[in-house]
Amino acid sequence: MGSFPRSSLGRLVVVIVSVTGLFACRPGDESATEGTTQAGNLSVITVNYPLSYFSERIGGDAVEVNFPAPSDEDPVFWTPNAATIRAYQEADVILLNGASYAKWAARATLPQGKLVDTSSGFRDRYIAVADAVTHSHGPEGEHSHTGTAFTTWLDLRLAIEHANSIQDEFAQLRPTESVRFEKGFASLKNDLLELDGKLDQVFSQVGDDPVLGSHPVYQYLMRRYGLNLKSVYFEPDAAPSDAQWVKLRALLVTHPAKRMLWEAKPLPETASKLTALGVESIVFSPCGNRPASGDFLSVMRANLKNVQLAFMD
Amino acid sequence: MIRIEALEFSYDSREFRLAVDELTIESGERVAVIGASGSGKTTLLHLIAGIVLPERGRITTNGIDVSALSEPARRDFRIVNAGLVFQEFELLEYLNVLDNILLPYRINSSLRLNRDVRKRAVELARSVGIGDRLSRCARQLSQGEKQRAAVCRALLPCPSLLMADEPTGNLDPANKARVLDILLEYAEASGATLLTVTHDHELVSKFPRVIDCKEFHFSSSASGSGGSELEREGP
Amino acid sequence: MRDVVYLAWRYLAYNRFKTAILVASITLIFYLPIGLQVLVSQSADRLTARASATPLLVGTKGSPLELVLNSLYFESETPELMTYSEIERVARDGLADPIPLHARFRVRGFPIVGTTLDYFQFRDLRVAQGEQMAILGECVLGHVAARELGVTPGSSVTSSPETAFDLAGVYPLRMRVAGVLEPSDSPDDRAVFVDLKTAWVIEGRGHGHQNLSGPEANSAVLSQDEKNVVGNASVVEYQEITPTNAASFHFHGDRSTYPLTAVIAVPRDEKAGVILRGYYESETESAQIVRPDFVMEELLETVLAVQRYVVAAFVVVGFSTLATSFLVFVLSLRLRRREIETMIKIGGSRKRVAALMATEIALVVLFSLVLGAFLTALTAWFGAEAIRAFLVS
Repeated sequence: MGSFPRSSLGRLVVVIVSVTGLFACRPGDESATEGTTQAGNLSVITVNYPLSYFSERIGGDAVEVNFPAPSDEDPVFWTPNAATIRAYQEADVILLNGASYAKWAARATLPQGKLVDTSSGFRDRYIAVADAVTHSHGPEGEHSHTGTAFTTWLDLRLAIEHANSIQDEFAQLRPTESVRFEKGFASLKNDLLELDGKLDQVFSQVGDDPVLGSHPVYQYLMRRYGLNLKSVYFEPDAAPSDAQWVKLRALLVTHPAKRMLWEAKPLPETASKLTALGVESIVFSPCGNRPASGDFLSVMRANLKNVQLAFMD
Repeated sequence: MIRIEALEFSYDSREFRLAVDELTIESGERVAVIGASGSGKTTLLHLIAGIVLPERGRITTNGIDVSALSEPARRDFRIVNAGLVFQEFELLEYLNVLDNILLPYRINSSLRLNRDVRKRAVELARSVGIGDRLSRCARQLSQGEKQRAAVCRALLPCPSLLMADEPTGNLDPANKARVLDILLEYAEASGATLLTVTHDHELVSKFPRVIDCKEFHFSSSASGSGGSELEREGP
Repeated sequence: MRDVVYLAWRYLAYNRFKTAILVASITLIFYLPIGLQVLVSQSADRLTARASATPLLVGTKGSPLELVLNSLYFESETPELMTYSEIERVARDGLADPIPLHARFRVRGFPIVGTTLDYFQFRDLRVAQGEQMAILGECVLGHVAARELGVTPGSSVTSSPETAFDLAGVYPLRMRVAGVLEPSDSPDDRAVFVDLKTAWVIEGRGHGHQNLSGPEANSAVLSQDEKNVVGNASVVEYQEITPTNAASFHFHGDRSTYPLTAVIAVPRDEKAGVILRGYYESETESAQIVRPDFVMEELLETVLAVQRYVVAAFVVVGFSTLATSFLVFVLSLRLRRREIETMIKIGGSRKRVAALMATEIALVVLFSLVLGAFLTALTAWFGAEAIRAFLVS
C-alpha cells in the first residue's frame, strides 16, 4: 500500500480506506434476502456463484446479492421455478454469465432493461464446443446447436472482464457509490491477477504435456494457460462405466496424460483405478456454486495449491 | 246596482248596433234577459261585465264606472264582483272538477287561493251534489254535473253580480230546474244581482223582472231606443 | 307563479303524448350536437392520451396510421413485420430504451401481444389476480379479455390458428394464464400478453419436441451420424409448454432475424429522440419511425372535420325542429282560443294567461334540457364503451 502519509488527516484517510477494504474483502453474505433491498441498496441477483462473489467484492455494503440456486445443484443445469424467476424480475440488476450459461433465461420472462451480460465484452472470445451433437428436422434442414463452453471465469483475465462489467453496471445505477465500486473492483482485480500469475507460473512448466479433464469444463483454463488438455465424461460422485474406462484407455494411447483435473474429489475407487493407469487425480474446482466453506478466492487458491503440488514436484 | 246611460255599441264588422238610453237594475234583482237571436242579450251582459266597452255612454255597477276602467282594472273588477256562467259550461278539460272550480283564484292575483277557499270550494261542490266528483276530469261528468261545476266556479268568489248566459240551454229539464234553483237560491241568500239570458219561457216565469232586448237596437228613425220591460209581480 | 306553473303542468300532463313528442324533439336538438361532441371529445382524449404516452414507434415502412393502430390499439390482423435487429438499432448509443411488440396472433379475437416486462412498467400495468408471467408459455390477460374468455389464473387459453386450411400455418399454442391485470381503461384491457419468445414459439421460430438422441425417438429419426441427428416428419412437437417439457423448447436461427410488428422507443431525452428520428430519414430506409401523437392528431382532424359537417346538419335540423315546435305551439294556441277567451271573460289577467302559455313552453324546454343533460351524462359515462362494444360486435 506504500508508505503512510505523515499528517493526521492522511492517517484518517488511510484508516477509512483500510476499513473499507476490509469490508470489501469480507466473504459473501449467504443470508442475502430474495429481491429486497434496504433503503438505497442495489438488489443484485446472479446466475452463478462467481458473479455473486465478484458483486459482493465490488459492491460491498451498497449491494444486496442474491444467488438462489440450491447449493447442491450445478447452476448451469439448474432451472428456477416461477417463484424464483419472479425474484429475478424484482431485482434491480440481473447478472448473466453469457456464453450459453443459464439456458433457462432464454425461456424465462425477465426485464430486458435489468439484464446484464457480463461477458458481452468478450463474445468474440467464446470457445465453441466442437463435439456437440446437433439435431435437425423439418424443411429448414440442419439447425446448429453449436455448444459454447461456459466456464469463462476459469480464465482469470476473463473473470476480471466479468467483474469490470459488473462494476460499470453498478456505477451506472448508483453513481454516488462509484468510488466504492472502483475500489472494490481494484482489490478484486489485484487478487485475480496475482492468482493468474501464479497459475501461469505453474502451468507454464507443464508445457505440451498431455493433461486430462474429468469433464469438459476446462476449455478456458486450457486456452489461457496453453494446456494440452482433453476431456472425458467422468463424474466425481459416480463410478465410471466399463465403456467409459475403455474409452479412457483408448484415449491414453494417443494422449498419454499423467494427470486428470477433477471438478471435485473423485470416489476413492475411481482415483485408485486412475492411479493404476498412471493418472494422478487433481481437484481443480470451477466453483460454479457456493462452496461449503470459504469463497471463490479461497477455492481458487486451493486449486492453485493442488496444481502446484501436482505439477511442480 | 247597475245603471246604463246613453249607451251605444256596435261590432265593427257587423251591422248590429245596440243603443240603451237608460237602464237601471237594482241590487238583488233577479232579471231575465230575453230577445230574439242576435238581439244583443249576450252583448248586454258583456257590456255590464266590462268584457267589451261601449262606444258612447256609461255603465255603472255598484257605484263603479266600469266603462271608464282600463282593461286590467275591468278584469280585476269582474273576477271579484261578477260570476259568469256560460251555456257551453266552458270548463277546462285538462283540469279536474276541483281545479276548475278554483280556476278564478289561479288566473288573477286579485283573488288569493288559500285553505279556506279550498274548503269553501269543496262545500260548494257538495251543496250542488258533485262533492264526490272533485277528482274527476271535466269530460268525465254529465252535462248537468258540468254546469253545476261551472256554477260553483262562478259562485266561489262570492260575487255581487251573477250573470248567466243561457245556463240551461244544453240541459235536460231536471237539470235545468236544478241549475236555475242553485242560481236563484244564491241570489236570494246573498243579495246578489242575477242577470240570466234565456230563451226558455218556462224559466222566464221564475224571474220577477224581464228585459226584452228587441228595443235596444239603434235605428235612424230614432223610434223606440229605450228598452221594453215587462214587469211582473215576483216569480 | 305557483298557480301558473300548476296549471301549465296540468295541461302538459293531460296532453302527455304531445308533450312527450315536443320534449323528445327539443331534447334531440340539444343533445345530438352536444352528445356527439362529448363522444368525439372523449374518444379523442383517449386516443390522444394513449398516443401522447407513446413517444416514438418504429415499424416497417408503410402507413404510419396502420403502424400506430396496430401498435397502440392492436387493431390490425395482418400487421407488417420487421426484424428484431431493429431493437439493437434503437438502443444504439443509449439513445432510447426499446420495447419490442409482436401483435400478430389472436385468442378468439383478442390480440396476443408479445413483449417484455418493460411494457408493463411503461404502461403502468399491474397484476390484480395471480402473478406476472415468468416462464415461456405463460400469459397475463387484460381484465376484459379475461372476463370475456372466462379465464382466471391457473386456467389456459389457446392461440387461434392463423388459417384453418393452411397446413403449414402457425400452430395453436396452449398457454397457462399466470395473472389478470388491473383495469387500465385502455386497449391493454383486451389483450393477452405473452413473453416475446412465446409469440415467437407461436410463430414457429421456437419449439419443443422429443429428444431425438434418445431411444424413444427412434421412429422419428430419419438419419444420424456422430455429429447430427436428422428428424423426420413424425417428430412430435409440443403444443403446450409444461414444467416437464419446458427445457426442450429452443429457438433456431439468428434472433436478430426474428419478427416484430413494432418497437416502442422511449428516448433518453428530446435531443436523443431527434437524433433517433434522424436515423430513419433516408429514402432507402426499410423502416420508419413515427410520433404517434402527430399521427393521431391528423386522424382526429379528419374526424373533427366530419364532426363539423354533422353538427352543421344537426343545427339545420334543429332549426327546422324548433320551427315545427313553434308551429305546433301556435296551432295549439288556436285550438285553445276558447279556453283563453273563457279565462279572459271570467276575469283572468292577460298577464297571467300569457304567463301560463309561456310557462308551458318553459316547462317543455326545461324537461328537454334535463333529459338532454341526463343523456349527455349517460354518454359521458357509457358512450365510449357502447361504441367499442358495438364496433367489436
